[in-house]
Order: sequence, then C-alpha cells, then structure tokens
Amino acid sequence: MRAQLRAELFKLRSTRTSLGLFAAMTGLVLLAVVLHSLLPAEALADRDNQLTILGRGEFLGALFAALLGALSVTAEIRHGTIRPTFLVTPRRGRVVWAKVTACVLTGAGLGLVAGAVAAAVGLLALRARGIDLRLDGGDEVLLVAGSVAAAALWAAIGVGVGALVRHQVPAVVGVCAWLLFVEGLLVGDLVGLGEVFKFLPGSAAAAISGQEPGTLLAPAVGLALLAVYAAAAAEVGALATARRDIG
Amino acid sequence: MTHRVDQPGVPVPSKDGARDPVVTVRSLTKRFGEVVAVDDLTFSLRPGTVTGFLGPNGAGKTTTLRLLLGLAEPTAGEALVFGRRYRELDHPAGRVGAVLESSDLHPGRSGRDHLRALALAAQIPPGRVEEVLVLVELQAAAKRRVRTYSLGMRQRLALAGALLGDPELLILDEPANGLDPAGVHWLRRFLRRFAEQGRTVLVSSHMLAEAAQTVDQVVIINGGRLVAAGTLGELTEQGRSLEDTFLRLTGAAS
Repeated sequence: MRAQLRAELFKLRSTRTSLGLFAAMTGLVLLAVVLHSLLPAEALADRDNQLTILGRGEFLGALFAALLGALSVTAEIRHGTIRPTFLVTPRRGRVVWAKVTACVLTGAGLGLVAGAVAAAVGLLALRARGIDLRLDGGDEVLLVAGSVAAAALWAAIGVGVGALVRHQVPAVVGVCAWLLFVEGLLVGDLVGLGEVFKFLPGSAAAAISGQEPGTLLAPAVGLALLAVYAAAAAEVGALATARRDIG
Repeated sequence: MTHRVDQPGVPVPSKDGARDPVVTVRSLTKRFGEVVAVDDLTFSLRPGTVTGFLGPNGAGKTTTLRLLLGLAEPTAGEALVFGRRYRELDHPAGRVGAVLESSDLHPGRSGRDHLRALALAAQIPPGRVEEVLVLVELQAAAKRRVRTYSLGMRQRLALAGALLGDPELLILDEPANGLDPAGVHWLRRFLRRFAEQGRTVLVSSHMLAEAAQTVDQVVIINGGRLVAAGTLGELTEQGRSLEDTFLRLTGAAS
C-alpha cells in the first residue's frame, strides 16, 4: 500500500486544489479571529471566550480537511481518473485507505496551520487590546494539538463521505451543511434530544482542543470518539467503493 | 458467408503455435435493472491480433470492456484476461493497458504528473514516464496542464498511461473519436506495430471504414449479443465491404 500512498500524496500536490484550500482556510482563520477580537473588552476577558477565539482554527481546519478528503475522491470520479486509478490498482479498498492516509497527513497540516495562526493572531489581538490572557501555555498547546487532531480525523471522514456520495457537489454541500448548520441546530436542543449533540463528530472535534469545558466532552474522550467516527467513515467508504460498479 | 459463431475461438495461426487466449469472454451477461446491456456474450482473442470490437451505439461494447477490466461485475458468466479475472492479476499495468474514455484526465494536472501518479501506484520507474511521453510525441507539452490540451493530445496522453507498464494487451474504447486524419494514421500505424511484436489489441469502434484499415479480426455485437466473429477477410469476402456486412448483420440496412 506504500505505492498507493505515494501516488495519493503526489495527486494531492500536483493540482492547485490543496494549495487553494490552504490559502482559503488561512484567510478565513484570520478573518474570524480579527472580527472576534473586536468584541467588547469584558467579553474578551472571559476565559471560555478566549478559548473559543484562539480555537477558531480548530473548526476551520476540520472543515477544510473534510473538504480535502471529500474532493480527493469526488474529483477523481468527476474527471474520470478513478478509472485509470482502479485499472492500476484493482484492489479498490487499498486505494481508498491510501487516500484516507494521504488526506489525514495533509489534513493534519491544515489543522496545524489553522490552529497555530488562530492562536498566534488571537494572542496578538488580545495584547493589542490590552486584555489579560487567562490561558496558560498548556491551554495553547492543547488548542493547536487539538486542531491538528480534529482536522486529521475530519479528513478521513471527508474521504468516507466522498466515497459514499461520489458526486462532488452533494458531498461538499453535505460536509459544509453538517458542520456549519446541522450540528448547530442540535446544540440548541431544538429537537429535544438533550445533550446528544456533544457526541456528534463536530462537537467531538471541538472538545479535543479543550473548548467549552463545561459543555463538551473531555479532550481525550473527544479524540477517541472522533477517531471511531473517522475509522467507521473510512471503512464504509472503502466497502462501498469495493462493491459498486465504476461508471 | 457470414460467421454466426456458437463457439467462436477466432482461430488465428500464431508464430509459436497455439497459445492460450489473451481474452476469454464466456456467456457474459450484464443487466442494469430491466436493461440487458450484455446478453450471453462469448468470444476470445488470441495473441498477436488486432481485433475490432464493433457494434452500433448502445450495443454493449463499453459495458463489455468495463466487465473485462474489473470495473463492473458481471450478472452472469465471466470475462477473463490471461485466464484470470482482471482484479486477480498481480501486476495489471504490466499485462493490460486500457483507455476507456479519453477524458479520464484531471484538467488541472500536467500531462507528465498524470503519468507520474499512475507510475507511482504501479511501481513503474519515473524514466518510463519520459519514454511513453516520447512514444506518443507529447514530451514538449508534458509540463502543461491538461486543460490546455487538444482532444488529440488528451487521447495520446491517455494512451501513454495505458502503455506505462509495457502491457501485452491493449484495450481501447473508440480511440479514433476526435482524432484528425494525421492522428488516425498515427494510431493505425502504432497499433499495427504493437501487434507485430506478438501483442494483442482489442479496439472498439463504430467507425467501420477506419476499423477495416486497422484490424485483422472482427467481433460484431448488437443489443448485447454476438452477431458475428471472424477474420476481416471472412467477413468481407464476396466483395462486400465491412460496412455492408455490419449493416446487414445489425439490422440497420435500409
């Protein structure tokens, strides 16, 4: 599977898609952190709010990593390169797992950039506003490390969703809608499911970096739960790809 | 006479005696819901031949090729290359090269990088990428993104991908589509040279005049069923053109 992994990593860097995702994500991280730093001083002084602002990288890293994963499958289907890919490697499960691995590695890079940029710019912004930082070095390490882990695992979920859905637009819209909208609805307990939201993959990802400590799962539990989601999504995607005819 | 074949072996004298068929299609059937795309199809190919796989649009040619290449699963029967299912080949790129659709390329990737990605997966050394680029006369355009390529260049790039593993069998689906006369001439010479080395070509087409100049064996299907199989000579004897034979057999003659 080493050969397939090298091929998948090469595919990710031989088009401009990955670079575009890195650039768009970094721009949005900057925008989000800068806008949040304009909040009233008393809000910015709150520890949980500081965690949320400096942790904006986690959410955007996970979102863009999921898009990277979904695109790695759906772009091949859309452009038909999936056919030569499977002619060279007829064991399709092997191809999907190579994509998962390549996207987890690249997704970790997205998470690192997003987490580090958000934390660094957030610190600078708070200092510029003259607001005392209520986070210690351990909090900051957890923010960045959690962002790396969340993005890496969401990349695997993205590959699974892409392999299952196959069409590019619904896969991309589905990932965005889930992370940006659906989980948000459930957090507000609109449907009366109580605290079930914190077991959902988006909330589990946020928990890894220690955000909303009173509400979300503990970081280690969030990590373990998201890892289960990621492995399940990848396996379902691999099984579906192995079973279905290629158009 | 025409050759309605129940056990079509398409026997061909080969230089080193009778060898196993390169392609064996036996009672192959593929249904998509109510539609029977391939219906109890049987034929085989011997080494060193260029076989035209002919039929009207929708006859089941592409579906048959997809079944042969393991991209789709048969409903019944079997489609084997070198006596095995494609998915069971150890190093498929080294045995079989195939181009199903000329547009199977990412527009944002360069021609060379398209081939490199395939070579990495197939564990083919990078030097071979440069060799096939020269072979299809694309070395000058190799750095450019595929979106800047003409249709003929895309066809040749896809062909280069199929040739990476130096295969013994080449399967091409409508390769002459969109080629200009020079491109068609180039392809014809290329396929003849390929077969002269004892290798085998299966090329689907609905362009009969072109096929008649390129192939030495013919398999004609219609509605997913075998209509005729034999040498080009057998199917065009008595002064009939391949076109006459084809139109008569596929019921499209007026």
